[in-house]
Amino acid sequence: MIDVIEAARRAGVRWLSLYAFSTENWQRPGAEVDFLMRLVRRVVRKHAPLLHARGIRCRFLGVTDPRIPPALTRDFADLMTLTEENRGMTLTVAFDHGGRGDIVTAARSLIRSGVPAEAVDERSFAAHLPFPDTPDVDLVIRTSGEQRISNFMLWQVAYAEWIFPPVLWPDFRAPHFLACLHAYQQRDRRFGGVTPNSNGAERP
Amino acid sequence: MTDTGSNEPGPTGGGEHHDREPGPSAYGTDTTPLFGPGSRFNAFFNDPRWALAIIRATVLEAAHPQVGAALIDNSTFVTHPWRRLRNTLVSLQRMFGADDGVRQREAARLNRLHARLSGTDARDRPYDAMDPEVRAWVVATIFESSVTMCRLSGQPLEQTAIERLYAEFRAYLAALDGDAGHLPPTVQEFWTYYERVVEERLENTEAMRVILYKLFDHLPAPPLLQGLPTMWAAGRAIAGPLIGVITVASLPEPFRRRAGLPEVPGAQTLMQSAYLAAGLARFLPDGWIQTEGLTKLLTLSPGGDDPRARTVDALRERMKRAGALVRLLTPIPPEPEPDGATGAPRGAEEFFSAVLDQTGDGYVDWPDLAAMAREIAGRLDLDEPEETRLYDAFADWWRELQTALDTDGDGRVSAPEYAAGVPSLAGPALIRVAEVLFDVTDADGDQRVDAHEYRTLFRRGFRRNVPGADGTYSRGVFVREFLSFMSGRERSTPYDPLFTDA
Repeated sequence: MIDVIEAARRAGVRWLSLYAFSTENWQRPGAEVDFLMRLVRRVVRKHAPLLHARGIRCRFLGVTDPRIPPALTRDFADLMTLTEENRGMTLTVAFDHGGRGDIVTAARSLIRSGVPAEAVDERSFAAHLPFPDTPDVDLVIRTSGEQRISNFMLWQVAYAEWIFPPVLWPDFRAPHFLACLHAYQQRDRRFGGVTPNSNGAERP
Repeated sequence: MTDTGSNEPGPTGGGEHHDREPGPSAYGTDTTPLFGPGSRFNAFFNDPRWALAIIRATVLEAAHPQVGAALIDNSTFVTHPWRRLRNTLVSLQRMFGADDGVRQREAARLNRLHARLSGTDARDRPYDAMDPEVRAWVVATIFESSVTMCRLSGQPLEQTAIERLYAEFRAYLAALDGDAGHLPPTVQEFWTYYERVVEERLENTEAMRVILYKLFDHLPAPPLLQGLPTMWAAGRAIAGPLIGVITVASLPEPFRRRAGLPEVPGAQTLMQSAYLAAGLARFLPDGWIQTEGLTKLLTLSPGGDDPRARTVDALRERMKRAGALVRLLTPIPPEPEPDGATGAPRGAEEFFSAVLDQTGDGYVDWPDLAAMAREIAGRLDLDEPEETRLYDAFADWWRELQTALDTDGDGRVSAPEYAAGVPSLAGPALIRVAEVLFDVTDADGDQRVDAHEYRTLFRRGFRRNVPGADGTYSRGVFVREFLSFMSGRERSTPYDPLFTDA
């Protein structure tokens, strides 16, 4: 994982998000969840100094479920505190995250703020999402050959490019990541508009 | 920390003045006023050695059975040492400052404060903070420790300087007590008196043991450093016992022997090195070791709006990050984490120990509530009759609490008794406390607590969600906030630092 983060940083990626644990993952067997929590805690603590030294701002998206061990929540908070002033890459770790849940949260917040219905547009709605400064996602890499969204940052991935490498996540390394980046560079992003390149013209 | 009772230093006395107050003329050509910037005391105030000397003086004070009993019963110095230190230093500055009016006012305040401190000790011997013998002893310990600190650090004072300092301390006692008669008129006679008290009066009291062996081992971090519990605890684990050893080694030998205090090999050398090192700190640049500045910094509450708040907040941000890093680097303990219920509303037991039990003895009784009244009166700088009104309101509240909660009838309220009876906490007497608190906070009596009055009480500005549209507190809102804090329902109110800061 740290390998991929470092590769992304070197490649000049400014925003990187990792999907560590979804709100649906709680349905997994208790022992597996416990193991995962301990693993995440070890990983966070092990890499905290390096992440900070690399100027990476870390934050955790989600983390609301009371079942998360307090010690882990504490470590998350500490890592966020430690790196909040960093202005290198922003690493968002989605933990106990669900895209629909975020949208519901935003809707609630919007209603509470008493905005009239006509005044709500996409931009003002997005301002109520958690971490509203997160830009739209350009590229989603879904490893392990799965081809699903799995409730991941639903709002932000609206116009994302998707790549589905067959390699399993634990085996996914820097070269795989760079290959995905390269594939992304070949994509022609039109955002629903017409192609700027007429047939037969040379690609930039 | 220099007094017989609770919050403020020194003994105090009645209004009559200057029976035998020693004047400068008694010491030849020295015509510098005894108080103010030219005084010997003033020169000591910023001396780092003074920290050691004050600890030593406090131990000698506490070894006096009457002072010890008063400390054990009433003092908050174990649970709120930083608050107590700040109050003590502010009081000393007022007493030794150049302004006579300020001094008289402070003396009167200390007198009122000490008049409220009396009782009986564990062996049923009475104690009274107004006893002139007791107050003389307290002043004597500070004087003697100041002289001794110079001797121990290898820079003994000249005889004239000692005489001058003694005259200042006698004047201090006279300002408090109206008369310095319980301290011998000359330094020569003082040493006889001092040795006699050490030989005949001092005991191995509980208060003394608490200071020597408990206070520094459990010293809570000052508010500013609360983000760094691990680091603080690590530093304290080393420094705590050392301070104890150093202080014991500096006590008079006959007393050490009689009180059965341990002789640790090398302790004398360690003690002298400590004093020497502290003495060398005077070569540091000016401003590095300003006692006043340092103390204020240590007692600043995070998030307060002191003029230096921005610097302090920036410092705190760094501290916070350092604390986060330290925690992340600390190895995970091997045993599984206890599933602490974090984020839950403050439990009754936590509120009991953080807010109500000011003296930290595990029970709530009158001295705990008196300590709250004392802190409020000190912050608002109350005069009579407001001060008495406030104390009376707290006393009524205490009676109400006792009636409602002391189910086993032992005269005090334990944590389980409190937890069982929380719902009945907000009775009419507590509402009365809130009302009186509003009255005394509302200094200009316009029935609103404005930003300035608010800051005087809480040492911080209004919170963002100011209730009143015009930026002031009405009586109703003020009372409601106080009650919701006192019923333990609400965290992070401005009352938290007022009552819980160390």
